[in-house]
Amino acid sequence: MASSSSSSSCSSSSEKKITLKSSDGEALNVEKNVALEFEPAKGFLEDNSEEADDEAIVVPLPNVSAAVLSELIPYVKQRLELSAKPVQKKLIKAFDDQFTRHLSDDKLGELMLAANYLGVNYLLDVLCDVTADRIKNKSVEYVREFLGIQNDFTPEEEAELRAQCPWAFEGVDQD
Amino acid sequence: MDITIALPAECISNIISLTTPRDACRLSVVSPVFKSAADSDSVWENFLPSDYKQIISNSVSDSSLITSLSKKDLYFHLCRNPIIINNGTMSFALEPESGKKCYMVGTKGLSIAWGDEPNHWILTSLPESRFPEVAELKYVWWFDVKAMIETRILSLRTNYTAYLVFKFVESKYGFARRPVDSGVYIEGSDNGVRRRLLLDPSRNMARLSQDRRDGWIEIEMGEFFNENGDDGKLVCSLFEFDSFITKRGLIIQGIEVRPKSG
Repeated sequence: MASSSSSSSCSSSSEKKITLKSSDGEALNVEKNVALEFEPAKGFLEDNSEEADDEAIVVPLPNVSAAVLSELIPYVKQRLELSAKPVQKKLIKAFDDQFTRHLSDDKLGELMLAANYLGVNYLLDVLCDVTADRIKNKSVEYVREFLGIQNDFTPEEEAELRAQCPWAFEGVDQD
Repeated sequence: MDITIALPAECISNIISLTTPRDACRLSVVSPVFKSAADSDSVWENFLPSDYKQIISNSVSDSSLITSLSKKDLYFHLCRNPIIINNGTMSFALEPESGKKCYMVGTKGLSIAWGDEPNHWILTSLPESRFPEVAELKYVWWFDVKAMIETRILSLRTNYTAYLVFKFVESKYGFARRPVDSGVYIEGSDNGVRRRLLLDPSRNMARLSQDRRDGWIEIEMGEFFNENGDDGKLVCSLFEFDSFITKRGLIIQGIEVRPKSG
């Protein structure tokens, strides 16, 4: 799915590379400017700034899998390139839409957790927006399933909450 | 996996504030985490109109509403209890499902032909009225009632419907067989669209009016789409002066504009 153009920009290939180590132990090489977008990586690099050779640094990211990182890295890279140019907001919006359009519900959740952990707030905002769109006018059961939520309310509590605003439950989409 | 446990509360609030008030009420049932996010001030501050503080401070209501209630309670307070604004000429409320603005122009804000003549129209007080005074029609031939509303105070990109909110006294006359015309248009660019409204149809005729369950009935006068709020004044007009039939016994609480439901 994410067959993004990793070899597109020759200029950035001359940049220093950093190695990120995913939760499942895979090592991924990324440009330093991309790595710096991830807060834990940025902190780690600052703490280890006396290290002469960036290439030798391996940044552990124990909360993100390689699969999720390999979706995030091309996104962040292209987003950085876009925001470096004086492009219109519309273009960035179109790029974000294209990135999120085909995400499965599960992948959306995984990316949200990763974006939160990595402090990539512009992506988190976009993903919140997509999540909001996907749960609008949906039943309570659908939203629980969508976000993998265990219902902690007792049936009585739930019935009482529903009785407070019965109109909010009328005419929702079929699950 | 339940991602809402791993995500910070602000993130859940952010998601909910990007839905609608109706969604937020439903989402509060999803789980305790969702409930606390869905009830939070940050969500409901977002659903209140951006100028709600100004509207409340310009009303006859106590401004402490703004600080004494949670934002969610304030939101529903404004849905259920219209506040009187603009020196008593209008009321303001919120439409619960969308949070859009609703206004009613009361007697004091309407322009009524012969309205200053006590043999034609009188002011009276009714407990079921939100305004201190309502207009009761004693008799006219020339029936002409208008409300003017600045489009800039309406919610943007919203389809509004205008309603006459009224009732009749026992000794009514002149509205059973003769319809009145209504028009809703921008001042200075009348689109010429008129509706013919039979305010008091006999039992075997189609009834266009609806019981509001607040002691009043209402009838649709027309529609208006408020794109950017820069169209000037919206005119909601109601008239009948062709027939020279005496009309009497109508009580008008006001003309209301609110988002078209559905």
